[in-house]
Amino acid sequence: MDRREALRVLGAATAVPLVSRDLLALGRDAHARWRARPGFRVLDADQQALVTTLTDLIIPETDTPGARAARVDQFVDVMLADWYDPDDRQRFLDGLADVDARSTAATGKPFTDATPAQQTALLTTLDDELARLREAHQSTSKSFFRMLKWLTLVGYYTSQIGFEQELHERIIPGMFDPCRLQDAAARGGED
Amino acid sequence: MAKTYDAIVVGSGISGGWAAKELCEAGLETLVLEAGRPVNPDTDSVEHVPVWQMKFRGNRDRKAMLVRQPVQRNCYACDELASKFFVDDLDNPYTTDESKPFLWIRGRQVGGRSIMWGRQTYRWSDLDFEANAKDGFGVDWPIRYADIAPWYDHVERFVGISGQAEGLAQLPDGQFLPPMGMTCAETHVRDAVAKYWGRDRVVTIGRCAVLTQSHNGRAACHYCGPCHRGCVTRSYFSSINATLPAAQATGKLTLRPYSVVHSVIYDPRKKRAAGVRVVDAQTKHLIEFRGRIVFLCASALESARILLHSTSPEFPNGLANTSGQLGKNLMDHCMGGGADGTIPGYEDRTTYGNRPNGIYMPRFRNVKDRSPNFLRGYGYQGGAGREGWGRGVDQAGFGADFKRQLKGLGRWNFGFYGFGECLPRPENYIELDPGKTDAWGIPALKIHCAWSDNERALLKDMSVAAAEMLSAAGATDIRPYVQDNAPGLTIHEMGTARMGRDPKTSVLNGNNQAWDAPNLFLTDGACMASSSCVNPSITYMALTARACHYAVDAMKRREL
Repeated sequence: MDRREALRVLGAATAVPLVSRDLLALGRDAHARWRARPGFRVLDADQQALVTTLTDLIIPETDTPGARAARVDQFVDVMLADWYDPDDRQRFLDGLADVDARSTAATGKPFTDATPAQQTALLTTLDDELARLREAHQSTSKSFFRMLKWLTLVGYYTSQIGFEQELHERIIPGMFDPCRLQDAAARGGED
Repeated sequence: MAKTYDAIVVGSGISGGWAAKELCEAGLETLVLEAGRPVNPDTDSVEHVPVWQMKFRGNRDRKAMLVRQPVQRNCYACDELASKFFVDDLDNPYTTDESKPFLWIRGRQVGGRSIMWGRQTYRWSDLDFEANAKDGFGVDWPIRYADIAPWYDHVERFVGISGQAEGLAQLPDGQFLPPMGMTCAETHVRDAVAKYWGRDRVVTIGRCAVLTQSHNGRAACHYCGPCHRGCVTRSYFSSINATLPAAQATGKLTLRPYSVVHSVIYDPRKKRAAGVRVVDAQTKHLIEFRGRIVFLCASALESARILLHSTSPEFPNGLANTSGQLGKNLMDHCMGGGADGTIPGYEDRTTYGNRPNGIYMPRFRNVKDRSPNFLRGYGYQGGAGREGWGRGVDQAGFGADFKRQLKGLGRWNFGFYGFGECLPRPENYIELDPGKTDAWGIPALKIHCAWSDNERALLKDMSVAAAEMLSAAGATDIRPYVQDNAPGLTIHEMGTARMGRDPKTSVLNGNNQAWDAPNLFLTDGACMASSSCVNPSITYMALTARACHYAVDAMKRREL
């Protein structure tokens, strides 16, 4: 955590008495969401919730934890704050708004309130649109969904959960085996 | 009166570290001057820091680098953890012609670029040493393979090189530790290429300065992978892991960091170098150090820059520049013609551990046959592994099945990536830029460098030949490419103070000794009269050790 981030966190903490009454009114769920928010610098509470839902649909909890547990939402916020240029950041935020707009148009509800089936249907649409760009050999670099997928995979597989629990990687393997027979679990097939 | 050292070594990178070791072990009181800060392998190595502890997960800090390291960020190794080993581009400026970009990738610290070097080590052969004499580019090397072979032996025994002996004339074998293993797909390609081309095209495991067994008190590699972030077990060779500790152990070494060398002091009465002027990087004070001999090992561009800045009534255009060749004939290997392809099969097989090495294919063009399209040749680095989770970004799908699929491994991908020889040409040169100074008030370099048609032809051939071999190996989805990399990015810059047989056309003689000042030696990449196509560091090491022994013997004979 750098100095700027630390100041943000401190700022959030001192703001608690002023805003907590409003937040409490939103109920326990929203409050839990808010409690997880210290340090967020770009995503507001609704956007954070949307990112958490979207990334967890891409990499869900299975026999191992998913994107939610790996706190991919925090990684996304750091990248939006300090990695991307303003154009790319805005494209991502616009993409989030578009997800909600499409969800509302289709179901009458914002994405996070839609049913799992409705969420999956919309994500399938976004994934299909990206696939069509690829198949037409058009640039995918401006695609919101590709950006989301990239952030999700990097955020998840470079987390401690992704690295240790999902991939069973070790920082110090201690040896090199150039042609090892894979066991079934490592192939990801039969576990 | 200030102390006179027996020897002054400028720079503590791969060449300076060797000069320090050899001169100290010969009993000389040696002062090593390093422009940058001290680096300690125990506390500064960051190869085991989990990436989830890093803000950008080990990816580069993009915005910070755009501001302070816009040049350095082009190097693959300049990531979030290792960027501290690369210079600040604002403090260390240089200029180029607008239409001729040159990427100068630098490390200013104790250990220099030996901390984040690529560790590939290949001997030159007479195919290389005779090249200039045969096709007329540059000047003839004053040495041949027989002159340097015992010095390759000497340095390799200390460094520890893992590799496979192949008995090829164009890539002589060395003193090898056991080779690292080849992956299933690499063995497949090796055998397929051998079936078509026999011993003309050989796929061998990379020869690299990483230990496969404990060696001279340094531990065997534990295959963590990111060597450019340092090595707490000293398993790869660097100045801080090996040569500087050896020099230190003699009790003869004085290592002075934060010492930016300003110029070499010339004594017109003795016609010798008298020492060096240093700007203390912290106080900015100008200090002088005296030495009986001076070794410039500051890198090809820095050593030439120091000499261009060492002007005197006797040498108005820079010390050791009577020939006018100082700063000229800049070379860097042209890299980035190649091809990737998918190797079918071996789906139940994978690798374990992170091998800090790949495969190598020695030069095969203009070895037996003669190419009509270009002079000299190229070699390939490369290798094969299975795709990991990263492939998912450009793959359809999401959810539990997608996650399960990414946990399993993807295709075996094999890549050949070419490194070509660069011709020595006087049009590629450096000069001091009168309009710009660095943070220590020393004139910056203006670098004029561009590829010629020969390098462009090599790059194209790399791509075509790589695709052809992948096809012969039964690869699918073959993807040939030619990258447009600016010179400098290969980080094999060399040639700016070439060795030669004639003081009228070269800066150094066959012992790396300046024609103009016999107690002045340049043994880094500056001395190279041609570039070969192989990674150059082991040759700098061998030439440095050879020149040190020559200098010590000459001192004993009271010639120096």
